[in-house]
This record gives sequence, C-alpha cells and structure tokens, in this order.
Amino acid sequence: MSTRTTTLVPDESTVVLGIETSCDETAAAIVMGGNDVVSSVVSSQIEIHADFGGVVPEIASRAHLEALNPVIARAIVEAGIDEQRIDAVACTHGPGLIGALLVGVSAAKALALAWDVPYVGVNHLEAHLYSAFLEDPSLEFPMVVLLVSGGHTMLIEMQGHGRYRLLGQTIDDAAGEAFDKVARFLDLGYPGGPAIDAEALNGDPDAIRFPRAMTDDPDNLDFSFSGLKTAVTNYVRKHPDVSSADVAASFQMAVVDVLVAKARRAAQLTGAKGIVLGGGVAANSLLREELLGACAKDGVRGFLPSRSMCTDNAAMIAAAGWYRLASDGPTDLADGAYPNLKLPLLA
Amino acid sequence: MLILGIESATEQVGVAVGGHEGVIATFEVTRGRRHAEILTPAIEFVLRNADVDVSEIGCVAVDIGPGLFTGMRVGIAAAKAMAQALRIPMIGITSLDLLAFPSRHTDRVVVPVIDARKSEVFWAMYRQVPGGVQQVSTPTVGPVDELVADLLARSQEALLVGDGAERYRDEILDGYRCEIDAPVHPSPGALVQLAHAKALREEWVRPNEIEPIYLRAPDAQINWATREQRA
Ligand SMILES: [Zn+2]
Repeated sequence: MSTRTTTLVPDESTVVLGIETSCDETAAAIVMGGNDVVSSVVSSQIEIHADFGGVVPEIASRAHLEALNPVIARAIVEAGIDEQRIDAVACTHGPGLIGALLVGVSAAKALALAWDVPYVGVNHLEAHLYSAFLEDPSLEFPMVVLLVSGGHTMLIEMQGHGRYRLLGQTIDDAAGEAFDKVARFLDLGYPGGPAIDAEALNGDPDAIRFPRAMTDDPDNLDFSFSGLKTAVTNYVRKHPDVSSADVAASFQMAVVDVLVAKARRAAQLTGAKGIVLGGGVAANSLLREELLGACAKDGVRGFLPSRSMCTDNAAMIAAAGWYRLASDGPTDLADGAYPNLKLPLLA
Repeated sequence: MLILGIESATEQVGVAVGGHEGVIATFEVTRGRRHAEILTPAIEFVLRNADVDVSEIGCVAVDIGPGLFTGMRVGIAAAKAMAQALRIPMIGITSLDLLAFPSRHTDRVVVPVIDARKSEVFWAMYRQVPGGVQQVSTPTVGPVDELVADLLARSQEALLVGDGAERYRDEILDGYRCEIDAPVHPSPGALVQLAHAKALREEWVRPNEIEPIYLRAPDAQINWATREQRA
C-alpha cells in the first residue's frame, strides 16, 4: 500500500475538492490555491422540503446520499481537471444535521483514502467567513463579518486567518428563522427569505412600526428576533385586513435596521476596515442595499459576496479547508461529525 | 479480482476483502455505534493487513440495508465514494441476504430479523437452494406480533437470526416455537462471498445505481430545535 500523504503544505497550485452536506444543499467544488474557484456545483433540496415548510432531517439525509456522487462528478468534470490533480478533500464536519453531515464526511474520507490524499474536516461557520475571500482575496483585517442565516445570527471580528472574536449573537431565533416563520404565518411559502423579499417589494416598509429589539444600549451587539415574530403575528390578528405586502416590508425593515445598526457599531468599536456579509440571509436585497449605504456613510469597505457564495456552497468549504490544512494539517480519518460545532474563538 | 466489502446497517461496522481465493481479511466491531469514525480506518486496516493496495480492488460491495438509517448511509456513502474514486463497479446486497447466507446448510426456513427501533423489526424468509439461500417472502417492516403472525401463517420449522430476533427473543418464542441463533449481525465475509458470485456473472452496477433499502418512509417531523444548529 502506498505511503499515506501526511504532510502537504498548500500553495497556489494546491487543488482542494470541497464537499458540503450539512443541511439542505448537496454541494461539491474544486478550488485552487485557497481562492480560485475552478468549479462549484450546488444541488438544492429546497423543493423536496417545501411541502413541509422546513428541512426534514431524514429526507435531507436520503437526498444527500443520492445526489452526492453525481454532484462530485460534475464538479470534477466542470473543473476540466483530472482527478489525479486533487491534492486534498475538505468536507463540512459541523455544525449541521447529524445524518446529513455523516453522508458527506463518510464520502470525503473514503475519497481521501482511495486517492491517498489528506482529508480536512471543515467548520461550516468558518467556511462562511471565508466565502468573501473567494471573491476578493485582498480583503484586509481586521474586518467585521455579519453572518446571518437560518441557523445563525452572529457578528464576528476576524482579526486574521483563523482568529475570530464573537462580538454578538442572537439570544433566541436566528434572523433566517424569523423570516421562515413570518413567511409561513403570512402564507408566503418556503423558504421564507426570498418569499418575504419578493412580497416586500410591493409593500410600504414604514406602514407598521415593528419593535427593534435590544437597541437601547448601542454597545450591546446581541440580537433577539422572537419578540419581532410575535409582534408580527399579534398585529396581523388584530388587523386581519392589513396588506401582507406591508407586513412583509415592515417586518423586513425592522430586521434589516437592527442588523445594519449593530454591524455598523461593531465596525466602529473594533476599528474594522470593512464589513462583510455572509450566510443565506445575506442574499436579502434590502439588507445588501442598506449595509452598503451605511458603509459608504462611515467610510468603511462593505463587501457583499455574490448570492451564490452567501448561501451554502462547497467552494467556501474548499477555501476554508485550504487554510486549515495550512494551519492545522490533515484531519484524522477516524474523525467524525459534530452537529453542534462552534466557531473556534480567541480566548 | 479483489472485492472490498463494507457493511454498517446494524450496530456493527464490518469490512472484508477477498476474491476467488475466498475472504482474506475481515474486521468487525459490534459495539459503540461510532460507524463514521470507525469505518475509514477499518478499511485502511483491512487493506494494509491483507497487503492489498487500493488499486488492486476491482469492485466495492456494500450492504444496502434494511437497517439503521444513519449507520447504513455511512457505509453506502463511503462505498459509493470509494467506487467512484477508483472508477470501479459496485454490488449491493441486502442485510437480510447477508444474515441468511451463513445458515444456508439448514433445511428449515431461515428468517433474518433486524431491529428497526420504534418497537419494529425488518424481516424476510429464505429457503435453501444449491449453493446458498433464496428469498421466499418480500422484505417487510412491522411490529414483532406481525412477524409472529407471519411465522404462524407459514407454520414451518424456522431458524431466526439477527439482532431483532435476539432483542425480541421472548416475545417471538411466546408466539411461535422456533430456534433463535447466531449470527446476530450481517457478515462482511458473506458480503464478499456473495458479491464474488455476482461479480463472476458480471452482475454489478455503477455507484449511482446503488439503491438503499429503507422499507420505511421518513419521519416527516420538522425538527426546529435541530434546525437551529445549522448555518
Ligand atoms: Zn450555511
């Protein structure tokens, strides 16, 4: 048997295959040198879960198992490379749905074994932070990352590669979760983010003044969205004839107001050179517009990765894997999956 | 041609490698339920000790269930990835076949019974044929009393094997007089043997054509608590 590759110092020519199966996207990508996306394939399960109004874990796991091999094959074909060129296999090993994570991790480790290349387990949250570098490697530290998705709402100061400080996070619902719940309540469909975004276009964002929670103390960078969701449902019950476009627009405005105000304040407090958006909610058009406006006013750089890089993808996994390989080396093949994995923070 | 067999549909993780000279190495762990952690090192271990290079493997055989969903997916995902990476074909064999095969020398009806959790079991019936066993009833999932009713309806001398038979031994014996014996888990060695017979007939498939056998629809409860863990 050939000697296992135990040392690989990644450089510009290092080719990483990234794999992502933590939630409802089956994705694979080929990234060279940590930031050159050669191919990125995402197979979404949104339609499979739409009937349930949320991700059904067992259905997600079954769909990943079916989709993963063709998605990997397509990523390799679209990259136009021979698979012999792949130097490492990186895969999300947490956080996420355990059954879904295990499909990707098991496949990734087997690929690494078969090709005799290193395996790298990647933290999905860290990978979101790296998605910005895929589109602009010149981003400067320190920077503030606003990570907003169906599972997380966090403000992180990124001081350098792998050096993170948590500035604030949600104390209850994630922003994306609030979008899903309000969209469901208004019968706008699933997923809630794009549904609210579209409905809000026809509504007046100032029609209803919904509460902006936890904004009394400007230095408090934590978030809370469960009260907002309750305020929306109470309002609609009291005013059954209200236009759902106005509710959607006013709700969205309330969420975006808080997100932008806190991100701004975070940049001021840390002296950050820029604010970067990440996570599925970063695809929201109002949030993108408002954040860029605020950054322009404050003279800091606002960086909005493209929508395809904000939502779950495997290019960001390969990119984060490249950096982790450089800093920590390969992950043991006896490693597993970690559904509750946290972002590694500075002490 | 050498066949790599991967089996993880029950509490057990099993790996074996072999070919025309029979099974040359096997590895089995039946406790711990750390399928994903154990499997890849187990494959490495079996290949290294059998002095087999991955490039010598000509086919990947895998247990396609029924069994514990998460566990069986670990094996199937790894097996499909190995086959894809090595550009070699696959053979899928059910866990029920793997449990029945070692009992091929009895003239009784052989009934592999696998624990399906939620007070249910997976089972099927097999009878002896030259060189092996043949399935004579469709694989089913249901409560133990349904299995007992099925046995009563056939009223043949039966040998029950598998972790489901073991777990519900008293309940089954209360309802139907039969023997409950080893093996408790599907055998990775049997997987390689059965796959070898199929490989000789070129009855293999591409990784995409491997279909897991779940026998039970997904529990479609949205778990908002679990969902909160994701980003
Ligand atoms: Zn994500």
